[in-house]
Amino acid sequence: MPKNSKEIDVAEIISDKCIGCQICVAECPVGAIEMKDGAAHVDPEICIGCGKCFEVCPVEAVLFENILPKEPPKETGRKEKGIFADYRGVAVFIEVAAGKAAGVSWELAGKARELADKLHTSVTGLLLGHDVDNISREAISYGCHDVHVIDNPLLKRYLSRPYGQALSDLCKLVKPEIVLIGATAMGRDLASIVATNIETGLTADCTGLDIDEEKQVLLMTRPTFGGNIMATIFCENHRPQMSTVRPNVFRLPPKDPDRTGDIYHHVFEPPQGKLPEIIDYISNVLDKGAIDITRYSALVVAGKGACDPQWTPMLQEFAEVMGGVMACSRPVVEAGLMPYERQVGQTGKTVAPDIYFAIGVSGAVQHLVGMQGSGKIVAINVDPKAPIFSVANVGIVGDYKKVVPVLIAEMRKRVKGD
Amino acid sequence: MNIICCIKQVPDTADVKIDPETNTLIRSGVESIINPFDLVALEAALTLKDTYGGTVAVISMGPPQAEQALREALSLGADKVILLSDRAFAGADTLATGYTLARAIQKLAKSGSVDLVLCGKQAVDGDTAQVGPGIATRLGYTQFTYVTEITDIDMDNRNITVKRKVEGGIEVIRGPFPAVLTVELDLAKPRRGSLPQLIHSLRTDITLWNADAIEGDPNKLGLKGSPTWVKRIFSPPRKEGGPIFDAQQDPQQAVDNCLNLLFADEAFATKFMNHRGR
Repeated sequence: MPKNSKEIDVAEIISDKCIGCQICVAECPVGAIEMKDGAAHVDPEICIGCGKCFEVCPVEAVLFENILPKEPPKETGRKEKGIFADYRGVAVFIEVAAGKAAGVSWELAGKARELADKLHTSVTGLLLGHDVDNISREAISYGCHDVHVIDNPLLKRYLSRPYGQALSDLCKLVKPEIVLIGATAMGRDLASIVATNIETGLTADCTGLDIDEEKQVLLMTRPTFGGNIMATIFCENHRPQMSTVRPNVFRLPPKDPDRTGDIYHHVFEPPQGKLPEIIDYISNVLDKGAIDITRYSALVVAGKGACDPQWTPMLQEFAEVMGGVMACSRPVVEAGLMPYERQVGQTGKTVAPDIYFAIGVSGAVQHLVGMQGSGKIVAINVDPKAPIFSVANVGIVGDYKKVVPVLIAEMRKRVKGD
Repeated sequence: MNIICCIKQVPDTADVKIDPETNTLIRSGVESIINPFDLVALEAALTLKDTYGGTVAVISMGPPQAEQALREALSLGADKVILLSDRAFAGADTLATGYTLARAIQKLAKSGSVDLVLCGKQAVDGDTAQVGPGIATRLGYTQFTYVTEITDIDMDNRNITVKRKVEGGIEVIRGPFPAVLTVELDLAKPRRGSLPQLIHSLRTDITLWNADAIEGDPNKLGLKGSPTWVKRIFSPPRKEGGPIFDAQQDPQQAVDNCLNLLFADEAFATKFMNHRGR
């Protein structure tokens, strides 16, 4: 334990552990902590050895030995629960675009059920739009116990302000303890407006949601620093606890049309002032003839080692079973077997499907840069030393003509069975 | 046209990693840069000023070292730069950051009307994309997120038309001033500063505003005004070459092993089945 000139045991910060959150800087009662090069530093001559920084540090970067007798733990948790007693239930914002609900909303309804079960409470759908009766019934079939709806012509298309006001109003009225919103372009735009309006915490792009059993609060885990670090965030003293989640993070729950639930309609007070007007919408969908390989979630990619045109139909069949399309590496285009638009790599397209089957692809650097962001990479190659294996999650050494037929048969079983 | 641009100094995130052995942050050699999205916002602000005249003021909230980012903004052509720095701002999450920046913009608006506020769509260290909408909501300004192009500015009727990225396409939308735009990287290509501007930037004073200067409610600033807290951090699972199964003897066994391993990953199985289910 270092001491300062006044013989006080002072705190010390391990800069390699510090994540620069500045919580200790704000917590220090005497202003002894400053940020230097992204890490906190304690000035030992100002430090009074109170240990507050040690208590609040989320990553145990503060070295401090508390020699004072520990204060009995405060009973704030219980009291706060009292304050939040009227906030109950897990709410899901149901996103509607062009008359259809976004899939992510139903994925969140499934997750909300899990969380609600742990909290012994119910799942509420919050629905905004125009002519959305069928969607409120769909929400119940996906697991919402009740649905609160604002149905108004002004909400036919998404505009930040009317939607922001409508969802804020619903949250104030329904008082859920948790609000989940899909991290789509609309959801992210909207969530922040609502969190600001009702002055509560919002955690973006969560990849994991759970309940802290003891405190009964939501634990929100998300990638940060460009995905290099994961952080678990909580929002203990504000309600609702809000979180956005990207599509395809949680499993789509089974739909049960026999479920019943209550649907409540609410009046909408439109916001004051001039609103923006949408002039045009240009869809990303290309001409029907061309295939855009970047838009598929599964790719079956033929390389130099799978250039035999006789076997192409088999690879195509495999791609169909996977719910994707065929792509290729450069030598296959040069051999004239596939069009350039299907080429992956530095001189072709950069792709990041959920699953990437590299068949007879050796894995030259120029190819790897175009596909390394893929969710899962499976490599099939006769050469066990092919560089593709070093980036593959799973590899199979063998002749693709023998392996792929087995893959087709096994995948058919799984797609049907699951 | 009076434009305010909000920038953040961030670590060059591609370099920030956790040492898997010691579970500590590897900091050595990590440089501080202006958030790349904010640099694009600044470029767009400067281009608009070139066309329509007016001023570009740049504000940044951060520790004293964030001054470096503001000097860079000056060297690129910003007219005025303001550093929001105070111990009371420390530990701010997106709610408190939005509040602090909105207070600073309100103060600036007192000395001359504000037409546009430009921000990057998100900062690369946190990737939340929440501060821009937070500012717009507090100020009651028009909010356009994910802007890829400014297609028209009508100074007479005081409105702006932009293209913005939405689900499945691009939306063209027009709305009144004052507006907050959060911008995508394709909006503009940042310029390089010239030598005279660089010298000018070194000779220009940086305005420093603390909590008193923006007349901020102490309960809405910094850690006190932040509902969310980091509870813990950890490394994501590492990606490296996985197991290899030999199919030369028994293709069936190799395929079974391969698929079992793939679908044992719950996150992947979820994604895959969801996509097939639609």
